[in-house]
Amino acid sequence: MSAYLEVSGVNQRFGGLQALNDCGFAIAQGGITCMVGPNGAGKTTIFNVITGFLRPDTGHVAFRGRRLDGLRPQAIVAAGIARSFQNLRLFVDLTALENVLVGLPSGFGEAPLGALFRPFHTARLDRARRAQAMERLEHVGLADRAAEKVRNLSYGEQKLLTVARLLATGAELLLLDEPASGLAAGALDQVMALLRRLQGEGKTLLVVEHNTRVVQQIADHVLFLHQGHLMAEGTPAQIIADPALAEIYFGGAL
Amino acid sequence: MDYFYSYLILAEIYVLLGLSTNLLVGVVGIFSVSQAAVFGVGAYIVSDFLLSGTLSFLPALAVAAVACIVLNVLLTLPSLRVSGDYFVVTSFGIQLLATAVFTNWTGGTGGANGLPGVPPPDLFGFPLEETRQILGFTTVAAGLGCLAFWLSMRAPYGRLLKAIREDELAVAAAGKDVLRAKVSAAALAGAFAGVAGGVYATYMSFIDPSSFDLDASVLLLTMVVVGGARTLAGSIVGPVVLLALPQLLQLVAIPTTVAASARQLLYGVLLIAFAVFRPQGLAGERL
Repeated sequence: MSAYLEVSGVNQRFGGLQALNDCGFAIAQGGITCMVGPNGAGKTTIFNVITGFLRPDTGHVAFRGRRLDGLRPQAIVAAGIARSFQNLRLFVDLTALENVLVGLPSGFGEAPLGALFRPFHTARLDRARRAQAMERLEHVGLADRAAEKVRNLSYGEQKLLTVARLLATGAELLLLDEPASGLAAGALDQVMALLRRLQGEGKTLLVVEHNTRVVQQIADHVLFLHQGHLMAEGTPAQIIADPALAEIYFGGAL
Repeated sequence: MDYFYSYLILAEIYVLLGLSTNLLVGVVGIFSVSQAAVFGVGAYIVSDFLLSGTLSFLPALAVAAVACIVLNVLLTLPSLRVSGDYFVVTSFGIQLLATAVFTNWTGGTGGANGLPGVPPPDLFGFPLEETRQILGFTTVAAGLGCLAFWLSMRAPYGRLLKAIREDELAVAAAGKDVLRAKVSAAALAGAFAGVAGGVYATYMSFIDPSSFDLDASVLLLTMVVVGGARTLAGSIVGPVVLLALPQLLQLVAIPTTVAASARQLLYGVLLIAFAVFRPQGLAGERL
């Protein structure tokens, strides 16, 4: 049986930098996999490869046994994989609800001809979409902030909103780039609980995370990347207990 | 009264241009400084058809609209490859190129001498010769333009375009076709500009390259800045206010030789003042 997501033999060079070096791993359906590794290990680069933002020099990505090579980002979202960004990339001049609405799968009235020539149909369907988007906001606990412009939301709320926008795509495999970074303890617990709940609802999560406490608490499986290569994998306890990995990760500080 | 009507007609034609520029620059964030060139192509196409007698006004207007849709899509395509400052430079070059063609292609445009004697617009064989009739026509045209803009902005389409202006990459990550949305916005903006050009030529009955040069493109941008980006009200207020200024200047006793440069000066000062002190314009949002 083939793996749920399988990355194999990916090489990516940026000028003189070998960002990904024969990078390969597989993840199982339904779990939370955390990807760790020092800065520059290639974590975000592999996200870009999986989601079609970057075509690697060599290598393959397969999802549910289907090769994704060369597909554009929109096709990959349609196939069921969506990602968030480390720097959030929310639409800060739009409201929280509108951000989620943009995340929903394309519907009627998103092309000009439908919007212009069937305005009532467009408005009716958009009301249904608003209700759907509202559900996603409720899901992450932001329903009361729906009409607020994103620039007025707190950082923690913005982080939750990126998850709501991600959920709106309907993707089953969610790639989260540091969903917990920069959060105070309370907000951190909220995000971790949310990720656990998403797992319970059948989503599969691949999460880049630096905070070892977060990794210990949420990860079923850990991938350790170093210099663009999968150096080790295992349970959180196994990875954290490995002195060689700690040496790489913390530069000998521990 | 006719004097006031003619101001209204011009203002309504420029409302169509304001909508076109606001859609492209304000909503989608494609910073084009060549919208006057598209306006000009619409004007010349309609004029040439009417002067040669090959098509009547409405079919000529339709051809101009289609041609400007295609043209504007082509002119906007570089924005998919080069972004931000580099696109402005590209667009600037396109505008200069267009002015050069308008000025030198005497066969199609009459060159610097322009095209005199463009017949008035007609609807199904009834020529609109009186100012009031033309005003009725431009009011309907501008009204339809405003309706189209309003419907687009309140639909998911408008939301998608606004999101693209903020972060194209995030829109792509949400599974949307950014290219298709941008091309369709350019097409819509092209249609507005082409129709405005055709109506302008038949109303003025004389056109020359000075109406479609870089100054004209900058005037359109000034309208968006002064009126305000991304709102219907802003797209209307900008042209209405900026076209009223030269009329007001005429009330002040300054020699006509000075008036033209005084107008440019005033536009420049307004552009700077609004950009610095009121970036959201009179009735819109920050560009």
